[in-house]
Amino acid sequence: MSAHRNLGLVAAAATLLAAAPLSAIFERWTWLVQAVIVVAAVAAAAALARLGRTPLWAQILAMVGGLTLALTWLFPSGGELLAVLPSPATFGHFAELLNGSVEDMRTHGVKVDDTDPLLFVTALGIGGVAVLVDVLCVGLRRPALAGLPMLAIYSVPVAVYVDSVPPVPFAIGAAGFLWLLVTDNVDRVRRFGRRFTGDGRDVDVWEASPLAAAGRRLAVVGLALAVLVPLAVPGMTAGLMGSLNSGQGNGFGGSGLGGSPGRVDLFAALSGQLNQSKVTDLVKVTTTEEEPFYLRFGVADELRNDGFRVRGPNGRQVNGDLPDPSQQSQPGVERTRHRATVEVTRDLNMRLLPVYAEPTRFADLGNSWFYDPNMQVVFSNREDSRGKRYEFDYVRSKYTPDRLRAAQPLPADLPLRKQQTVTPDVPEVRALVADLIRGKRTEYDKVRAIYDYFSEDNGFSYRLSTEQGTSGQEILDFLENKVGYCQQYAAALAWMVRDAGIPARVAFGFSNGSRRSGDTLTLTNRNLHAWTEVYFDQIGWVPFDATPTYGVPGSTRSAWAPDTDAPEDNTPQAGTPGAPGDADPSAGPDREPNRIEEELDPGVGSGSGTPAGQAPVWPWWAAGALTLLFLLAVPALRRHALRRRRGRPAPTVRTVDPPSVDASVNGAPVVTVGTDPDRARADAHAAWDELIDTLVDYRLRVDRTETPRATADRLAREALTADTEAGTAVRLLGRAEERARYARDPLTGEPLPAALRTVRGALAERADRRTRLVATVLPPSVLQRWRIAVADTSSRLVTSGGHLRYRLLRFSPRRIIASRAGR
Amino acid sequence: MTQQTWDEVGGLLPHDEFRAASDAIVANIEQVIEGKTATVRLALAVLLAEGHLLIEDVPGVGKTKLAKALARSIDCSVRRIQFTPDLLPSDVTGVSVYNQETHDFEFRPGAVFANLVVGDEINRASPKTQSALLECMEERQVTVDGVTYQLQTPFMVIATQNPIEMEGTYPLPEAQRDRFTARIAMGYPDPNAELAMLDGHGAVDPLSALRPVSDADTVRRLIGHVRQVHVADAVKQYAVDLVTATREAPDLRLGASPRCTLQMLRTARAVAALDGRDYVLPDDLQALAVPVLAHRLIPTADAQLARRTTDAIVADLVHRLPLPHERKRSPYDTRPPTGNGQAPFEPRRP
Repeated sequence: MSAHRNLGLVAAAATLLAAAPLSAIFERWTWLVQAVIVVAAVAAAAALARLGRTPLWAQILAMVGGLTLALTWLFPSGGELLAVLPSPATFGHFAELLNGSVEDMRTHGVKVDDTDPLLFVTALGIGGVAVLVDVLCVGLRRPALAGLPMLAIYSVPVAVYVDSVPPVPFAIGAAGFLWLLVTDNVDRVRRFGRRFTGDGRDVDVWEASPLAAAGRRLAVVGLALAVLVPLAVPGMTAGLMGSLNSGQGNGFGGSGLGGSPGRVDLFAALSGQLNQSKVTDLVKVTTTEEEPFYLRFGVADELRNDGFRVRGPNGRQVNGDLPDPSQQSQPGVERTRHRATVEVTRDLNMRLLPVYAEPTRFADLGNSWFYDPNMQVVFSNREDSRGKRYEFDYVRSKYTPDRLRAAQPLPADLPLRKQQTVTPDVPEVRALVADLIRGKRTEYDKVRAIYDYFSEDNGFSYRLSTEQGTSGQEILDFLENKVGYCQQYAAALAWMVRDAGIPARVAFGFSNGSRRSGDTLTLTNRNLHAWTEVYFDQIGWVPFDATPTYGVPGSTRSAWAPDTDAPEDNTPQAGTPGAPGDADPSAGPDREPNRIEEELDPGVGSGSGTPAGQAPVWPWWAAGALTLLFLLAVPALRRHALRRRRGRPAPTVRTVDPPSVDASVNGAPVVTVGTDPDRARADAHAAWDELIDTLVDYRLRVDRTETPRATADRLAREALTADTEAGTAVRLLGRAEERARYARDPLTGEPLPAALRTVRGALAERADRRTRLVATVLPPSVLQRWRIAVADTSSRLVTSGGHLRYRLLRFSPRRIIASRAGR
Repeated sequence: MTQQTWDEVGGLLPHDEFRAASDAIVANIEQVIEGKTATVRLALAVLLAEGHLLIEDVPGVGKTKLAKALARSIDCSVRRIQFTPDLLPSDVTGVSVYNQETHDFEFRPGAVFANLVVGDEINRASPKTQSALLECMEERQVTVDGVTYQLQTPFMVIATQNPIEMEGTYPLPEAQRDRFTARIAMGYPDPNAELAMLDGHGAVDPLSALRPVSDADTVRRLIGHVRQVHVADAVKQYAVDLVTATREAPDLRLGASPRCTLQMLRTARAVAALDGRDYVLPDDLQALAVPVLAHRLIPTADAQLARRTTDAIVADLVHRLPLPHERKRSPYDTRPPTGNGQAPFEPRRP
């Protein structure tokens, strides 16, 4: 029974561990405390029920009862008996909480605050999983199945939060599951009897059985494959792997994910999309407005040390009333109403919808879309933008510079100002800003001073291939190098305006692009853009786009933020709102279009411009085939090299003994030349090795217990019966080898290479065609040698690993406890 | 009687001389024992290896005849002891008797004081008498009444015993068996040889017509030659591997002794020399394994129940033991690596 209790406790703990991914959803940790209480109640109820040796159904009843008591205590309605015994009112309260949770799920973006309905649902869910896991593990002894309810918990954050579910909680959950499996298995084996190693030794509790080593190795290999194979397959590096790789979520677009409206690193997504060589249509927008400003979908207004970050939006349903700024008219602000239809392609996948600023009414959008009036973005926690088509009314505000100049500085204690002027302390930027705004009195003049600073005259230029990032150091680098793209321009301008004490943020969206037919603009991933928005008192957020116009197809400038680089005389329309035609890079009067094209899109430029540049594919195939052939030929080449080396007379290891001069009997000196015995030995060994390799190649038996003489005799007797010459030759080889190995002096002066050739020829004649082919193409002797080398290496590794493990196991607490208990 | 030291005997003989001398002895014996060249050569090898020979076979196959033929072929002192249950140790070693003329005890040498001692039916004598041979076989000396007498060289005990009729016999103790270098079985002659035997032995006993073709001096020189035969390190390693394998074989209760290793190598030298080589091959050891090893080993009860004789066990060992290679492990062997010189068996755990 103690094993059951132990297993029950492990099941409860594993459930709690499996709940770890929920930490990604909640802002605070209240849910965990409640989960612990609920799971403890379930486990205690189960343990009590088992103490009475009740049947399984009674255990389930007890667990459900424990769960109910715990929930009652945690979420009281006020009418309970003794605070834990539920009354009908309690269940009514539960139903209310459940209903409320549906509403909360819809309205709250992650990370959610603690609300009673959500906490209740969480506690109920975890409690239910705890009951299931307990029943499956302890009652039915099927702990592997218990992984399913645990996985259900993990699927919750995945569902709301695909982009960047952190890997650590998942690992914690998985560890809990493994713990459960291991505990169950150890219990099973112990019930079976003594654990043994196979060599007659018992295994202690703390030791892993060597018999399971194969299983462990298989598991490790399987795990490694499961992790590595998806990494190797392109297009599968999303989700967990993607966040492991890049450390941040992927953005939008084809391979992107329907992320949550917040938390997506729009900067990363932006640069990723702009750098893609493939052009994909993302949005088609039709508007009644003549010269619309940019379509926008996101805002980054939280400036931290690592740069601008996107906050989770907050808002109400788009179907309700939206604020309509056109109702309050102001002098100097021209507001016009327009209607636009947006069609999102299947390639744009995010939880934000691209809209024009200040929408007033939406049609065709379901209940799951919300509008954040502060950020002016439309978001959802459940749906994504893929394939959406919607229509909306919006207000376009145009400001005269004078009106903006009239705006007063915001009061310093305004929360908006306090929040949106925070900048990390970078003294160089601060000094530059102070320098720029010196003498400027109005807010607008200050902003213009900073805005005008990003001009070509000051050396700023556009290039896509720069480091992305908006942290302090990166902004500083940009200001120094003066090369960047929309991301840096927008972020730097916002940063500096903030440093000037004026709220600013970075907006994301699409420029107007270069493909226009009638009222319809087709926007691609290359039209993705970022710009700056500055808050003016009484007016609201006003866009400023500091990026050089030649870098942005469909760039639009306004009266209050004219193109700083445009020569006054050549662009008469500069200074009036909206001049996309002029700003279009290809129409830029004083720029070389080719250069711009190249800078814009190196991939497309070279690809479409020069057909010859498109490299044919076949060399790759040919190279691949050649590589394959070469790899296949390696064993044969190796065999050939071996044979050649053995065929050559061995290099003289030692110099030949100087001729010794003997006085012969009759007085005439007889000169004897001493042959080098080492060399003769090496020759004999080489010939013998070659013979053995030949035997292996021709699939003849090689026996390590046989002496050379016995092998030679056997060959002469069995394989070379017909060929007496070969029989003599093989005996000669055997004799040479045995002399080389065992005698004082080796056999010298025998034609070993010739004998070897004879034997090889006779053996080849005897073998069938298939054997001969294999012996030539994939010689078994080489393959076997390699196989043995691999096996030896791996067994050596395993042995040393075993030694290491044994040494480490000496410090295993379980062993220490076991030995103490034994004493 | 003074003897030459081994230095005086000298080293390697010229090849022809050794061949002539050894072949003469073998040919001489073969006049009596037909068709048993291998056995005869082995017996001679044991003599040249300074060992002792145990011939074990059923009655009537020529055990005694072989012993006597070997003895007669060499012109040296030969003594024959018929072991009977009432034989006393002093009959073997010798005894001191009181000489009334000199008023002193005088040592009367026993039967072992000869170059060749033929012990017939050795297992018929009591263990007490059998043990009398222990000292003289190993140490080549006899100690009687505290006085030690050296025996001559060559000294060889050729004993016969009958494995079938065990009634009234005393099986040789382990210590005694270990002193015999080799145990050979005669085996029945093949039909042709038996036919020839009928022709030859019909009229006259060929043994009586046998004349010595060699003498003790020549044998000493042959022994000196054998001592100089080269043994490569790999062969030594193989001998050790073989002996170690018997100690670790699961079928054997008692393995071979270090003395056995020595004797085996010595016999292998003699075999190699008789084969005309001046170096030992593993083949020699393989051929000698059963005669040299088998009679010293004691199989386990299980092996006995399974009717596995020590001969079969040793033959199996030889078949399974890989040759030690002077170089790296041969990559062609599909067997698992057994380490350096380790026997391919699981070590026995008590």
